[in-house]
Amino acid sequence: MAALPPDSFHPDKTSDRAMTRRTFLRSTAALSGLTALAASLSPLRELGDFTSTEEFLQKYYKELNPDEMAKVLKRIERDVERQYGIRPHVRDLKPMDGVEFVYCLNLTRCIGCRKCVHACVAENNLSRSPEIQYIRVLKLPHGSLDVEKADHNYTTKQVPEKGFFYMPVQCQQCKNPPCVKVCPVNATWQESDGITVIDYDWCIGCRYCEAACPYWARRFNFAKPEVPKERVNPNMSYLGNRPRKQGVMEKCHFCIQRTRAGRYPACLEVCPVGARKFGNILDPESEVSYILREKRVFIQLKEEMGTSPRFFYYFEK
Amino acid sequence: MILATRNYLRFLWRCGRIAFVGDWRYYAWMAVLTAITLLGLNAYCKQLVHGLIVTGMSDEVSWGVYIANFTFLVGVAAAAVMMVIPVYIYKKEELHDLVIFGELLAVAAIIMCLAFVTVDLGRPDRFWHLIPGLGEMNFPASMLSWDVIVLNGYLLLNVHICGYLLYCRYQGWKPAKWFYIPFVFIAIVWAISIHTVTAFLYVGLGGRPFWNSAIVGPRFLASAFTAGPALIILALQIVRRVTAVPAGAGTTSSNGNLSPRMAVRRDATLKDMEMLAQHLPELASVPIVDRLSSLPGATVSEVDQGDVLLQQGTTDNDAFFVLSGRVVVKREEGGRVRITRTVGAGEQFGEISALTGTPRVATAIAQEPTRVLRMPADALRMLMRNPRMNDIIRSRMTERLMITDRGLLILRGIVQVSMLINVFLLLNEVFKEFYSGNLHVASSHYLFLGLHGYDGLVPWIWTAVAFNLTAMVLLVLPVSRSLRWLNVACVLSIVGIWIEKGMGLVIPGFIPTPLGAIVEYSPSLNETLICFGIWAFGLLCYTVFLRMAVPILQGRLTKANEDHPEFAESDTLLTTPAPRPPLAAVR
Repeated sequence: MAALPPDSFHPDKTSDRAMTRRTFLRSTAALSGLTALAASLSPLRELGDFTSTEEFLQKYYKELNPDEMAKVLKRIERDVERQYGIRPHVRDLKPMDGVEFVYCLNLTRCIGCRKCVHACVAENNLSRSPEIQYIRVLKLPHGSLDVEKADHNYTTKQVPEKGFFYMPVQCQQCKNPPCVKVCPVNATWQESDGITVIDYDWCIGCRYCEAACPYWARRFNFAKPEVPKERVNPNMSYLGNRPRKQGVMEKCHFCIQRTRAGRYPACLEVCPVGARKFGNILDPESEVSYILREKRVFIQLKEEMGTSPRFFYYFEK
Repeated sequence: MILATRNYLRFLWRCGRIAFVGDWRYYAWMAVLTAITLLGLNAYCKQLVHGLIVTGMSDEVSWGVYIANFTFLVGVAAAAVMMVIPVYIYKKEELHDLVIFGELLAVAAIIMCLAFVTVDLGRPDRFWHLIPGLGEMNFPASMLSWDVIVLNGYLLLNVHICGYLLYCRYQGWKPAKWFYIPFVFIAIVWAISIHTVTAFLYVGLGGRPFWNSAIVGPRFLASAFTAGPALIILALQIVRRVTAVPAGAGTTSSNGNLSPRMAVRRDATLKDMEMLAQHLPELASVPIVDRLSSLPGATVSEVDQGDVLLQQGTTDNDAFFVLSGRVVVKREEGGRVRITRTVGAGEQFGEISALTGTPRVATAIAQEPTRVLRMPADALRMLMRNPRMNDIIRSRMTERLMITDRGLLILRGIVQVSMLINVFLLLNEVFKEFYSGNLHVASSHYLFLGLHGYDGLVPWIWTAVAFNLTAMVLLVLPVSRSLRWLNVACVLSIVGIWIEKGMGLVIPGFIPTPLGAIVEYSPSLNETLICFGIWAFGLLCYTVFLRMAVPILQGRLTKANEDHPEFAESDTLLTTPAPRPPLAAVR
């Protein structure tokens, strides 16, 4: 025989009352729990256009066939129009055969005016708030390439200053890019013309590539990027300057929307001293081929990393 | 098949139910954890809407306290294996029951790890891009894809091992070795791999000299095997504490009837054996001749509720089988009594002392009118010559839930050695960085001494160094054989290592940036709330796991009492049955 609890003399009465009280307590607890859950989830009401079904289900860039790509480009055009009120022209420009882009920058000429930075921001629809810039100009004392001696935030009215030289740094388009290797979802890769690109619709925003880059060339959209409507550059490309979403990575892509259409990058065009040279290294007649052949001193930044940049710095004398 | 599924669902249902039952302390604890979890969830929803701008992170310091916690917790998860190795390789039986607690901690830690990685993602909605087959996984090139595989694999392995062992215990089955032992050994290797892979995540980055050092992997393992078992030592004592009632309260052994009247005591017959065989099918396979030869000296007693069947500390040679009724086994240690298990029909108690001749380690009291078969050790040995009987009795002997001080001291040995290695490896790193004096010392300089006037981490790292060194000294001295000082050492090493390999490893890697800029980092309020939320959620999970596992291990939540769920559930916090007035006092 099983032992009865001590209060078993009036089993019915006691258990009845206990039952009602317990049920009441239980439902109160469950109700307040659900209310608290709903309250804590309430900020999600402002989520807005975080993503759409189309965007959420979109396939990986390399798996999209031309028809699907056309649809995606249409969707992007629609999204841009809705957001900025202008109809953009979004293309998916492919690399050209027999082309490998190389950048050369003449450190003797560069005066540190940061015009390239501003041109880049305008051309590539970079966020004005929070500020994102692909190019960082370092002010270095003569005689040293030690970046720890660099001033990133110089605000002198007049450049260049005596005793200093200036070194703009942007994505070095490495032949052996550490950022590509570490990406867990292949959202960034190197194209045949040497440009390392990002599929902004595939990036999961883990920022591993940002940690891996030895040139601090990558930028993350910590917030929803803001570009004034009247400043939007409507000439866009999928892997290039189309507006980005919150929470994805971006970086310099040698102005893919221009260079793959036979134009120079924006930073080169704006340079007032002609310090920037850009071209096809596979073409022996190109300017960059000439520079790399004829100039005696050129530098690949952090050469010891084995990243083999396609961005060369050189001095004239 | 359908029946098996139904049984399994029933098991899950009962486990789920019991998670919602407890005393006021349990409810209060769970309510606090739920509240903090919801605060964290609220903070995360804000982050989802506004982006990672609400954290303290920037393009300069692009990983922060999320990844720091992630790194620390991978270590905790990996360290669960340090409980498994002594048991399965060195046969340290003292830790046998504790393995499940360790593995459940690993499961909770991995859940926290996955949560910390998820909240760090800029686009958590695109998590499916990581799923092999569905998405596009950069395997084997990306160390992060390795981490995704090994972490989820480790989660599955541990869930399988714990789940299977607990389900067998619930069903009263003897676990099939082939179904879990291979996984135990895979899990051991796997545990090393999860932490090595996590270390490689950092080590593989050539552009970050602070991380790009071969010693980071070994340092990770050493610190994990310090902090993990230290955490387990504390967790086990908490479990032990809440499953115990203070000595002198209603259910202590002194309240039992010390001199039972043993109302009926007679010689055992073959009929009693048959009765036992109904609850213990293995006995049926023992030939009648052997059963007969084990009868001389065996007696059957019928006792009342509250009667003491055997007393902790005494020495005699008998083992007991319960024929009907229920017996509760209690153990007094350090002024507290805890119920180690309850024994129902067909189960045995007292056999360890009988077989080894050692003093009784616990007191057994009848919980209801009970009939027991009392058998001298020789008779038990006779029965155990039968392989099936041998297996079932031995497996039950090792499945018991006993958190002994000896078990804790074995863990202390692990913490001790690991902490020595950890401090030694840290010294190696510091020497290499500062003595060679090349430009790569900048990050270490920032961490330990400050760089160009920026010194946000300096007080933290020296706190960590002080804690680790104090813990090391305490652990080496015999003073930490006392639980109080061992606990102090454990807390110091957990906090010290959390700082050292969390913030102390992740943040300096970003300072200065590869272009030489110095931007400091400190977590924002929202970010901190998310971290607290995840920790609370992890603790919530671990509490629920224990709430389910402890009654199963104690034999209070079994298939046998499926129709009387009150027995398993009506109890206070984790195990202690509500004290009943002993009948002896009434009589």
